[in-house]
Amino acid sequence: MTKEKNYILEVNNLSKIFDADTEQEKDVLKDVSLKVDRNEFLCMLGPSGCGKTTLLRCIAGFESYKGSVTVNGVERTKPGTDRIMVFQDFNQLFPWKTVEKNIQYPLKLQGIRDKQELKQRTEEVLQKVKLSGQEKYYPYQLSGGMKQRVAIAKALALKPEIILMDEPFAALDAMTRNELQSELLRISMEEKCTFIFITHNIQEAIVLGTRIVVLAEGGRIVVDEKNAIARPVTPASEGYGETWERLHSALYQ
Amino acid sequence: MKNKILKTMAVCMMAVLLAGCGSSDQAKETSGGQKEAGQEQNADGEAATLNLAYQYGVAYAPLSIVKEQELIEKAYEEATGKKVTVTWNQMSSGADINTGISAGSIDAGFMGAAPAITGVTKGVGYKIFTNLSGQEHGLMTNDANIKSFDDLIGSSNQIALVNIGSIQHILLAMALENAGYDPHALDANIVAMAHPDGMAALESGNASCHLTSNPYIFKERQEENLHEIMDVTQAWGIDDSFIVGVASETMHDNDPDLYQALCSAIEKAVNYINDNQEEAAKITCEFDGNSEQEELEYIQKSKYTIETSNLFELASFMARTEFIESAPESYEALVFDNVSGN
Amino acid sequence: MNDKNRQIHAFAARAVFVIVLLLIWEYVAKSGMMGEKSELIFPSLEAIGDAFIRNFIQGYAGISLWVYIGNSMKLLLEGLLIGVVLAFLLSGLSMVSKIFYDICNLVISVFDLLPGVALLPVVIIIFGVKPGVIVFLVVHAVLWPMSRNVLDGFLAVPQIYVEAGMNMGLKGASLLWGVYFPAATSYIVSGLKVGWARAWRGLLSAEMIFGVASCPGIGLFINQMRTNMNNAEMYATLVVIIMIGLVVQYGVLSPIEKCTVKKWGMSR
Repeated sequence: MTKEKNYILEVNNLSKIFDADTEQEKDVLKDVSLKVDRNEFLCMLGPSGCGKTTLLRCIAGFESYKGSVTVNGVERTKPGTDRIMVFQDFNQLFPWKTVEKNIQYPLKLQGIRDKQELKQRTEEVLQKVKLSGQEKYYPYQLSGGMKQRVAIAKALALKPEIILMDEPFAALDAMTRNELQSELLRISMEEKCTFIFITHNIQEAIVLGTRIVVLAEGGRIVVDEKNAIARPVTPASEGYGETWERLHSALYQ
Repeated sequence: MKNKILKTMAVCMMAVLLAGCGSSDQAKETSGGQKEAGQEQNADGEAATLNLAYQYGVAYAPLSIVKEQELIEKAYEEATGKKVTVTWNQMSSGADINTGISAGSIDAGFMGAAPAITGVTKGVGYKIFTNLSGQEHGLMTNDANIKSFDDLIGSSNQIALVNIGSIQHILLAMALENAGYDPHALDANIVAMAHPDGMAALESGNASCHLTSNPYIFKERQEENLHEIMDVTQAWGIDDSFIVGVASETMHDNDPDLYQALCSAIEKAVNYINDNQEEAAKITCEFDGNSEQEELEYIQKSKYTIETSNLFELASFMARTEFIESAPESYEALVFDNVSGN
Repeated sequence: MNDKNRQIHAFAARAVFVIVLLLIWEYVAKSGMMGEKSELIFPSLEAIGDAFIRNFIQGYAGISLWVYIGNSMKLLLEGLLIGVVLAFLLSGLSMVSKIFYDICNLVISVFDLLPGVALLPVVIIIFGVKPGVIVFLVVHAVLWPMSRNVLDGFLAVPQIYVEAGMNMGLKGASLLWGVYFPAATSYIVSGLKVGWARAWRGLLSAEMIFGVASCPGIGLFINQMRTNMNNAEMYATLVVIIMIGLVVQYGVLSPIEKCTVKKWGMSR
């Protein structure tokens, strides 16, 4: 029992079938098992259609599945604030709420009513994503990168056990993307929080992850390794080239 | 982009407008076509047309005879040797017919005595050219405690009748006055709804009284749990003018032959219906949607005559009780010279 | 600056349009185009203006038009309120239960086609003869188009908002209230616009054929003016109806739009 407690997240024999009992029946995930340590930054790489997004959605509780997902040893089947999802889509903020309210609304739902505390938490997380002073804007007034920053801030404010990120930077231009990567790296090192980060970008995985997993069709784990490269990682870092090659060949084998 | 949208909108609007013009042209064509057909048949004379408006029900029964037997066409041809095209328009209220006549699209129409008096005094440009029928009216109630107006005045009992300002409303006022009350004493108790709805409301107990006319009054009289408050029946009965015919002054003055043909056709039809009730019922039951048996019964319970009765009295009462704004000077101001009665 | 220019343009265009329309009306009225009895059926603007004032001072049967308007508005607001609340309820329940959704969808499609006036006999038998009948017909006029709009709005809510909401711990009624309603606001506002117009028209047509004399409304007033061949008064009443409609459009609905969907960038 005590051994199991060490893991923040355990995925056991998770299977997911799309279009069950029809001709298009497809095993998206087949018997996937995964254990994640506390405060790990797990980057999940995989080709399109390998089921990585589905796996993340199962963990978040948005999908039904066979198998089990436990957080801190407790089984979870429904969405909850212990696992907060940051989507790829910029439009994940509620357009009818200002930046501030978007961040505070889930906090209020958690029962935090004290105005001072709400305000303080908002300021704190906005500072972390470098958006101080933008509280009163509506989402439509923000750029894509800013929206993603708010989404991350919103997740941080809730102090979840795990933040699930589904290619949050994939739709950004290269410059903003690099910027946000380093912001996220800094945040992940400061925060006591576990991240599961999906990407199809090898560079991103090496830069951000403390552990890198490569999935193949059906959610089969073909690579699962600690990222030993010293942080912050740049293409000039020692071991970068070999790691890149290894992951690349695993991805496109 | 914006310009493109504007252009498209302009094109659409043009299309709509053109379509509108097209359809009105079409409408004119058909009526023009009728005129042309008339002209072909009367190579030597001008084409005559007559636009008539009528309403629905057994009170208008003689009109079905006129239409079916083409009495106007025959009378006109007999008098002038020429043909006339008669168009029959069924309309839903005297007010509609009034508008039609004042706009010049209707030459003559048939309606309740009350809207006809309103029309004459308002200067629509017509007069009454014939009486058509008298009918029975009555005030029915489903409440055994209601025996006279005394039980109604000041109460919250509701009286269903066809419309505020309608002949039924006027008859209620008249009966109240005859009984020594303020003619408008029951105005606040009125709920306006069509005859069949009123009958349904009375039978289901949703309204306590219903003031109605032939044929609904007969149907209601047959029901055991309903009884009648007689004052209304006594105030205005089967002998008094109910439905009258009106003809535009333009037609009366400009086309006396046609006017005469119209008058004599109505007279013939009224005589026919009085002399051959069974035959008449066979013809009219189809128009009224009743069985032959019912139709005959309703015809027998109506009075068809071309002579008006108490028309001027009705007009004076309407003026006195403010149903209309100005009183006619005399009986002659209401009707054309050929009409007899009072 | 540009925005202001556009506003002035829009205002000028509308003003010119209205003036041209009025001029055409006046020309037709004065030219005798409508035959000898033109002034009776097609009264001039002056006559309508006089009648407008007369409506409020003398009214009909000794009661000023204000009273008729007041009665109508009371019934209208009552019906509108009930209709909107019911529409929210119906569409809300439809989102919760699939079976309810299927039934609701059918009910909306069927009843939306029925003219309220055709239901009058049934309504009288069920509800009796009281102003409530008018309220019912107003509810009937509002409920179906409004429900359809709200339901379409709910169905069009992006899945991502729903998932984000569920992630925050919203479910059932709180999800409906916290995500579906605000996300469907533009549909709800357009539903309100349609619903309001339908309610207003439904009210007038109901009042024209079903009148409770103890609670007379605008429809009854119009009908009376028509019966009595007081066409100038009738047109003046139509002007009042248009004015009330414009007040609601620009005084109530537009501001609602301005401080919701427009402010949130959900509609231009």
